[in-house]
Amino acid sequence: MSASIEIANVTKRYGTLTVLDDISLSISPSEFVVFLGPSGCGKSTLLRMIAGLEDVTEGMISVGGQRVDTLPPGKRGVAMVFQSYALYPHMTVHENMSFGLENIGVAKKEIEKRIRLAAETLEIAHLLDRKPQKLSGGQRQRAAIGRAIVKEPKAFLFDEPLSNLDAALRGRTRLELAQLHARLGSTMIFVTHDQVEAMTLADRIVVMHNRKIEQIGTPMEIYHHPATRFVAGFVGSPAMNFIPVQRITQNENGTAVDAAGIGNLDTAIRLPTAFSSQSATLGIRAEDISVLSPGQSGVPLIAEVVERLGDRTLIYGRLSDGTKLTVEADGRNEASAGDRLEIALDASAIHLFDADGMAHHPEGE
Amino acid sequence: MSRDQSTYRPETLTASRPLLWIAALLSVVMMAPVAWLVGLSIKNNRELMLGTESVFRLPYTLVNYVNILHSSQAFGWFFNSMIVAIGQTIGVLVLSSLAGYAFARLEFPLRRTIFVIVLFGLAVPEQAVIIARHQMFNWFGLHNSHLGLMLPGMSSAFGVFLMTQFFRAIPKEIDEAALLDNASQWRIFWKIMLPLTLPAQATLGIFTFLHAWNDYWWPLISATKKEMYTLTIGIASSQTNFAQSEGLGFLSAQAVFASLPVLIVYIFFQRHIVTAVSGGAVK
Repeated sequence: MSASIEIANVTKRYGTLTVLDDISLSISPSEFVVFLGPSGCGKSTLLRMIAGLEDVTEGMISVGGQRVDTLPPGKRGVAMVFQSYALYPHMTVHENMSFGLENIGVAKKEIEKRIRLAAETLEIAHLLDRKPQKLSGGQRQRAAIGRAIVKEPKAFLFDEPLSNLDAALRGRTRLELAQLHARLGSTMIFVTHDQVEAMTLADRIVVMHNRKIEQIGTPMEIYHHPATRFVAGFVGSPAMNFIPVQRITQNENGTAVDAAGIGNLDTAIRLPTAFSSQSATLGIRAEDISVLSPGQSGVPLIAEVVERLGDRTLIYGRLSDGTKLTVEADGRNEASAGDRLEIALDASAIHLFDADGMAHHPEGE
Repeated sequence: MSRDQSTYRPETLTASRPLLWIAALLSVVMMAPVAWLVGLSIKNNRELMLGTESVFRLPYTLVNYVNILHSSQAFGWFFNSMIVAIGQTIGVLVLSSLAGYAFARLEFPLRRTIFVIVLFGLAVPEQAVIIARHQMFNWFGLHNSHLGLMLPGMSSAFGVFLMTQFFRAIPKEIDEAALLDNASQWRIFWKIMLPLTLPAQATLGIFTFLHAWNDYWWPLISATKKEMYTLTIGIASSQTNFAQSEGLGFLSAQAVFASLPVLIVYIFFQRHIVTAVSGGAVK
């Protein structure tokens, strides 16, 4: 079962402190939506409001066309997987899974059937008689997901469920969650501050910052066309490079940008006439900068730190004016700290951000 | 690795030998009066009249224990003590759990103020309220009754405080998961929260039982009829002018008899008692 979720003009206040400000969002049935943002941006609060664990100060939330913000958590038809898993410590995995179904009066036979199915799906059938303290982190996580699955909810809510797992297990579980979503076809909302989780799992990402939604889009839209400077800096690893703009000249082909330390660049960005170069910033991702071969001339960069990741090399350096810049080079690049390198920026991959942080991208991109 | 290189051994963390000897000596000091009491209880009263050093000589007898069965009211007092101790334990556990859950988890007007007032009860000594309590129980005709003996100890400010702290320590996500599982507030308390507080319940229950069993003052005031005495009062009342010279063995047997439930509680709940006493010492 999957349902749409409608969040309309939702605001959350604790006394005079506003933690979410006029949030609106539509989620389609079967969609996997990730709320992404730094700590304290309000993403978990929004999820908890959908679950019914926080009340809504203003606005309305609907699940499957039914208004739910007036209903208690258990009546909303959603299931949640907590960061800490929140399994009942004194109950076995089986009891953890059956507790919710007993509360809504599901017949015993049906309970057993659902638990068996969920346990097979999650490969935890052999763990059903164990208590949570006898399970590893990954097994607890599966048990918590199992507890959610057996309820056959209209929507699944995940509150940073992978953050307690080690890196290897996190990667594996991420993949399994994607497979689970494909198999169940349920609506899922996943809260995380990890952009890799967001990029790999989401049909759409909702980037949140400072009590508001910064951008809603597919992972590729978010990555290639960030709506704001915040999104551009938050999504992507390493983070996008930002270089102060000194002068902008608009011509018939786009915009010529004169930026500190890199000189003139012709871009296909068409700016509104009111655009001011004052406090404007040029943005470019590390992979859109290339290191030129010895003898070729480009923009000079002094390498300060070199990180070798095997398949690629990250070079952290400074431009002639002291601006910091990160360059992603081939894994076989032999640059080392202290080297003077010549680099070239891909003008078609440049973004411009105005003084308010709003992004402008090249046309045709 | 060379042989002479010493490696770390966990055994080095155990107590050193002199410390063990000191602990053993202290144990002997603690156990000596108990052993003395048991020794006296299995000696003939006449023999003890000639001198208590006969404890170290044969013969020994169970006649004092047989006399308890036949001639004393100790069984009645034992029964009274048992009812009062069990009643108080149940009362404290039920009320402290309910109040603790409410203070820790429910939102209601004046919650903090009421909690502070309850905590204030910890600072009020029993002596300060005993006259008022005596009069009140007199008005209600509760003296010389099991209920009258039980009631004052059926609620405990310490119990409420302990349970409140314990409930507060349970992660909120557990309640929230239960709320999402469509559990009612009562079901969350009964099926989820209460079982999680079992260690605290055991601790509180054991101490309440022991305190109620050993209580002397309130039964002394409230129970004026001999058949309503608890063991502590009953045994004290048996100590007539010549009891210590003429019936020392019998008195000792009664004392041993009175200690039996406490001993049983210790044996069965030793683990919980150690945990309770060392609470907070080890994470």
